[in-house]
Amino acid sequence: MKTYDVIVIGAGINGLVTASILGKKGKRVLILESRDKIGGIASSMEFTPGFTCNVVHDTIKWIDPRLMKILDLDTNGLQLVEPEILRVNLGDNSEHITFYRDIDKTINSIAKYSKKDSKRWEDFISYIKKLSQFLEKLYELPPPVLPNLGIKEVLGMRSLLSPIRKHGSQGVVDLLRVAPMMMPELADEWFENELLRSCISTAGIHHLSFGPYAAGTGYNLLHQHVHSNGLFHNIKFVKGGIEQFATVLKEVAERFNVEIQTSAKVISINTDQNVCNGVTLESGKKITAKQIVSALDPNNTFFNLVGPSNLTPDFRTQINNIRYRGSTARVHFALNKLPVVKGVNNEHLKTVFSISPSIEYLERASDAAKYGQIPDNPYIEFVIPSLLESNFAPKDKHVLSATIQYAPYHLRDTEWSDSIKDQLKNNIVDTLEKVIPNIRSIIKHTYILSPLDLENEFGITEGNLNHGEMTLDQFMFMRPTISSSQYRTPINNLFICGPGTHPGGGLHGTNGYNAAMEILK
Amino acid sequence: MPYKNNFTAQTQLKLSPFFERTSKLNESQEWRRWAGYLAATSYELTHENEYFAIRTKAGLLDITPLKKYIVEGPESEKLLNQLVTRNIAICKVGQVMYTPWCDEDGKVIDDGTIQRLSKDKFRITSAEPNLEWIQSNAIGMDVNVKDDSFSTAALALQGPNSRAILNSISTNNLDKLRFFWMMETTFGNIPVSISRTGYTGDLGYEIWINPNDALKVWDLLMDKGKSFGITPTGLHALDIARIEAGLILLDVDYISSRHALIESRKSSPYELGLGWAVKMNKNDFIGKSSLQKELNHASNWSFVGVEIEWLEFEKHYREVGLAPGLPQTAWRTSTPLYYKNEQIGYATSGTWSPLLKRYIALAHLKSTYAQKGSKLMFELKVEHFRKLTKATVVKTPFYNPERKRSCPK
Amino acid sequence: MSKINKYDAIIIGGGHNGLTAAAYLGRSGKKVLVLERRHVLGGAAVTEEVYPGFKFSVCSYVVSLMKSNVMRELMLPKFGLELLPLESTMTPLENDYLIRTADSDQTYREIARHSKKDAENYMRFGPAMGQIGMAVRPILETIAPNPIRPSLSDLSATKKLLDHVKSLTSKQFEYLTKLMTMSSADFLDEWFEYEPLKATMSASGIIGTFMGPRSPGSAYVMLHHYMGDIDGAYRAWGFQRGGTGGVSMAIARSAEHFGVDIMTEMSVQKVIVKNGRAIGVALDNGDEYNSSIVISALDPKLTFLNMIDESELPPDFVSAIKNFRIRGSSGKVNLALDALPDFSCLPGDGRHLRGAISISPSYDHLEKAYDDAKYGNFSEAPFMDIILPSVLDPDMAPPGKHVMSCFVQYAPYHINGGWNDQKREDFGDAVINTISRYAPNIKDIILHRQVLTPADLESTFGLTEGNIFHGELTLQQLFSLRPAVKWADYTTPIKNYFQCGSGTHPGGGITGSPGEMAAKKILGSW
Repeated sequence: MKTYDVIVIGAGINGLVTASILGKKGKRVLILESRDKIGGIASSMEFTPGFTCNVVHDTIKWIDPRLMKILDLDTNGLQLVEPEILRVNLGDNSEHITFYRDIDKTINSIAKYSKKDSKRWEDFISYIKKLSQFLEKLYELPPPVLPNLGIKEVLGMRSLLSPIRKHGSQGVVDLLRVAPMMMPELADEWFENELLRSCISTAGIHHLSFGPYAAGTGYNLLHQHVHSNGLFHNIKFVKGGIEQFATVLKEVAERFNVEIQTSAKVISINTDQNVCNGVTLESGKKITAKQIVSALDPNNTFFNLVGPSNLTPDFRTQINNIRYRGSTARVHFALNKLPVVKGVNNEHLKTVFSISPSIEYLERASDAAKYGQIPDNPYIEFVIPSLLESNFAPKDKHVLSATIQYAPYHLRDTEWSDSIKDQLKNNIVDTLEKVIPNIRSIIKHTYILSPLDLENEFGITEGNLNHGEMTLDQFMFMRPTISSSQYRTPINNLFICGPGTHPGGGLHGTNGYNAAMEILK
Repeated sequence: MPYKNNFTAQTQLKLSPFFERTSKLNESQEWRRWAGYLAATSYELTHENEYFAIRTKAGLLDITPLKKYIVEGPESEKLLNQLVTRNIAICKVGQVMYTPWCDEDGKVIDDGTIQRLSKDKFRITSAEPNLEWIQSNAIGMDVNVKDDSFSTAALALQGPNSRAILNSISTNNLDKLRFFWMMETTFGNIPVSISRTGYTGDLGYEIWINPNDALKVWDLLMDKGKSFGITPTGLHALDIARIEAGLILLDVDYISSRHALIESRKSSPYELGLGWAVKMNKNDFIGKSSLQKELNHASNWSFVGVEIEWLEFEKHYREVGLAPGLPQTAWRTSTPLYYKNEQIGYATSGTWSPLLKRYIALAHLKSTYAQKGSKLMFELKVEHFRKLTKATVVKTPFYNPERKRSCPK
Repeated sequence: MSKINKYDAIIIGGGHNGLTAAAYLGRSGKKVLVLERRHVLGGAAVTEEVYPGFKFSVCSYVVSLMKSNVMRELMLPKFGLELLPLESTMTPLENDYLIRTADSDQTYREIARHSKKDAENYMRFGPAMGQIGMAVRPILETIAPNPIRPSLSDLSATKKLLDHVKSLTSKQFEYLTKLMTMSSADFLDEWFEYEPLKATMSASGIIGTFMGPRSPGSAYVMLHHYMGDIDGAYRAWGFQRGGTGGVSMAIARSAEHFGVDIMTEMSVQKVIVKNGRAIGVALDNGDEYNSSIVISALDPKLTFLNMIDESELPPDFVSAIKNFRIRGSSGKVNLALDALPDFSCLPGDGRHLRGAISISPSYDHLEKAYDDAKYGNFSEAPFMDIILPSVLDPDMAPPGKHVMSCFVQYAPYHINGGWNDQKREDFGDAVINTISRYAPNIKDIILHRQVLTPADLESTFGLTEGNIFHGELTLQQLFSLRPAVKWADYTTPIKNYFQCGSGTHPGGGITGSPGEMAAKKILGSW
């Protein structure tokens, strides 16, 4: 029987990253993936004959530069498309602000609505850039063991000094001010135009169950702008579709002799007297290894695979208290023709659109989630991926993929069903109709994924794409719990590397990279 | 002396199903709170007769306020084995085990008994509410945890005549019922469970019944027990008996680690003299790894019996012209213990033993001073002035009659 | 008229923090003058006989956070501080109630009636929070250091704090982090399951803030309310005999005992600044008073944007103060009653009326009330914290009559269309209608009704936007950031001008703490 040094559970981006790095360092690694293909939520699929979509994510906000380097992703075939237009934020009556890669153009777009705001734009983005730089350094390190920080740990955090040297301790103070802020507070400090204010706020609520009036949305906004190089709402498309990112990683991994088994569902992480020694597959097969790394979320890793009775009471309580609360739904429309976005030039459609006329609009959408309902007027971000990947749809036909907030996993007094999904779909189409008047008539097919569907399809608890909400109480040394935030767990030889660890979600691979470094220690 | 001074007041406290009887018997009207219940401190104006009933006849105590939980289901043995320090796998159906249980740092949360009612059904008794703790540890296990505190009423019948009284009522004879075992029987047509357990260190039983049968059972016992000297007994008498028996009391001799605000208030089983109840050779249980470490390094504290030496004790009082001032009841105020001028521990409860005629106490001592025979100084207040008086570490239980464990030949 | 021309210190505002600072300075032999705009002392902590025979603690209504060393050092009991305990908190429900009393057996039993798990956890929760409160205390009692240009004493304070934090257990640190960042609802969800219990407990996380129980950050406010300390017992609530104004009067008498001059109906118009130094104050009536230093007990906006010309201040400081969030969200309704309210869930007179009555049946109730305010309306069915002072202290009302104090959220300062008389009455009606759901006789027993909107609180008490805490207790407005970075140690960019109100560290509530710490800071560098 083959023996492995390391078994990685889950072939999502972070699982692949950890496996590749460990493979590169000479470990014999096996990846076990329950689905029939790799990639996790970095997934593209044909959702109706002839039409393909990126199931969960259409874009990448940032990829850890260390990852690009160590796995040489550029030369190994990862092609990132950096669009000219980063985002178009749509308001009422064809009003919209366009965010360009070219800052001057963005300023012009803002100036249409407020001269004053346009003048502050450059200051604002350099402010955000400055604060994000602190996070960039923070993200490269495993979180410290708090509160009892030793000298060794402090020395290990030296790299944090470089942004402090650059920006002074005022920078730290600003970070401490902005991270706990709510969006209207940040907006009040900078801008007057509501369309601009709300567009900024959308970055703070990305994939959260909270609305813009929630403290801590400031942190989420900064998280979206790590490595964004001063570009607000920065995005990248992956050439070939989002799954291509995973495919490239898979090829890299295999080059380092990583073995990948798909349709290999792990049903238990086996422990004996608090030492982890292997896994059991659904087939009943047991595989042993010196170390096990789980890329799954904490709930799946510890409750479903290790089992609550193998956890100490305190740790079990901590794991049980992690909040997921997936609130994001996805909908994919197969369209008979190219949609016309009111007021937007057809040449400018290769980007992300958001519908957000005001902060209050976003907040009202979030109110529904608070009461376990679906919103009448959801917050929608959409992309037309078929414009970027011609093979995503037949000629002259198109795909429109939208991310919907807020669609709470926990509905009040009911559960997700086809009729509720229909209702949500209607609310989405009603909302889209305001900016794409002909949308209803060109929809050929609809594919909608509720948070429950996302949970079932991808095995992510409560459909939370970040494996745990990105809130300040689940940040850094608290992620996923104060006792397991260094990628190690209270169970010997069991490691975690998914987005449920520091620094959280997004297809950036930092979790996987940091985890690999800890395992190699 | 029938003075007929009847009175009633509404109380916010819980009343036991026996209250209709006990309230009429409580001449002293001395009540104490016990787990939110009104419980008799003593029935007569002094508790002495009740104490001697336990040691010479039979004391009848209402122990309904004990917390009781039923754990049932295929994994109930697994759950309990993980929860407590003793090995539940070897507890046979019909057997009872006394055990502490700990948090993951190996500090005692509570102690109590576990009755194995059937292969997959147990009853836990405890001093404090533990439902949340048991339930949270049962997550993911095929067990059902139920609060049995109100669905089962309980009496303790303690004392040398207790067996004879029960034999005169019970359908099944109790002669073969061994110490820490239990049996199902009936009193007439009333089903009862009887365990040979207690909190007095004497021959005694605890009777577990449906609360609806409470008054009938009480009346039966009082009626049939009359000729054996059955005596309703309150907590003052019990407290003396349990100290003589060397049995610890939560919130008096130790603080539950779930409620202790600071680390130093917590105790491990080893520090409470319960090392015998920690089974290191069984599978993982909560607190095991911490206890293993403690075992490797020896505990800092020990829990011991202390006897205050009579002669010097008496002398202190003679010096001020008084006869020795013995405590009237068991005390529960922490009292410092010294070795030379250094405080090396504290007694948590103590009493004059009316039967043994010795002044005894239970105490926490730093382990280096805890070996039997160690000479210590006990702090005493004589006419408002502090004195130190000699005391010796002695073996517990202070009182341990052969009848406690034996069965009639 | 002032007795002397030149004072060591002039304090603007005779609220309890201003008076506390005055008393401490007087106690150290300084010659101090307190100038109060109104005819009564106490600021928000004031008792007024609004209707003959009926005394209202008009604004602030309970005392829970008063520091015990302030009470001792200023000898407040000698000068009339008498705190009567509020024994219980009752949450009336549609067909039931939840009551927590001073007795732990009874509280256990009452909660266990709804959830045994909660009853057990409740017994652990209070002590756990008390421990966290203890862990936070040293932070609250430290003069907030300047992180930008730390002085030697700032560095040593920081070192001490870091050492303190390092001494915490992992569990304490975990709870502390959670309390600093979470919503009170999320935090309580980790402990409890019974909705009315959670909602009522979460309510202390929203009092005085513009947040709902599900808003992140509200857990900290809950902790803030747990740090109350009467006779060393954490979270004991008290009612001042004779009304909350009695607390202020006790401090005022203490101050006078230490030689402080106190003048009412003296409205300060400006702080006189010469060459970047405060040298005195100018009154509305044209009088001027000189002093070595000037201390403002007003909120940061008034302290800096009203009392000082913007041109005297550094621009980044001005923008920091402008960005300081003070959002009024609460109103107050005071009722003179002909009889006691009769709660359907617990009819008649009884001990339940001796404590607080919380209208907080569910998170949704509180959140919906918040939603109304979020979008610019007062809550149709508001959250209320009600007490009946006359039950505790019969002197508050004529014999047999009663006064009822209702603290109400939410009433946004920025209400759609602005506050006016009609809206004030509508707001009062919403309050009465909500109470009548639980105590149907309320409408029949009201003799007089005083409704205070946030606009009224602002105009009457000079609280910007009617915010009772002089500024939101959000993470970015605490400690070294309250009210602004570099100026959180009670100093200001103007030499000899200091601040001592609730807008400084450690924040609002009748604590006496900002006043005390400001005075000690000032005395330390005199």
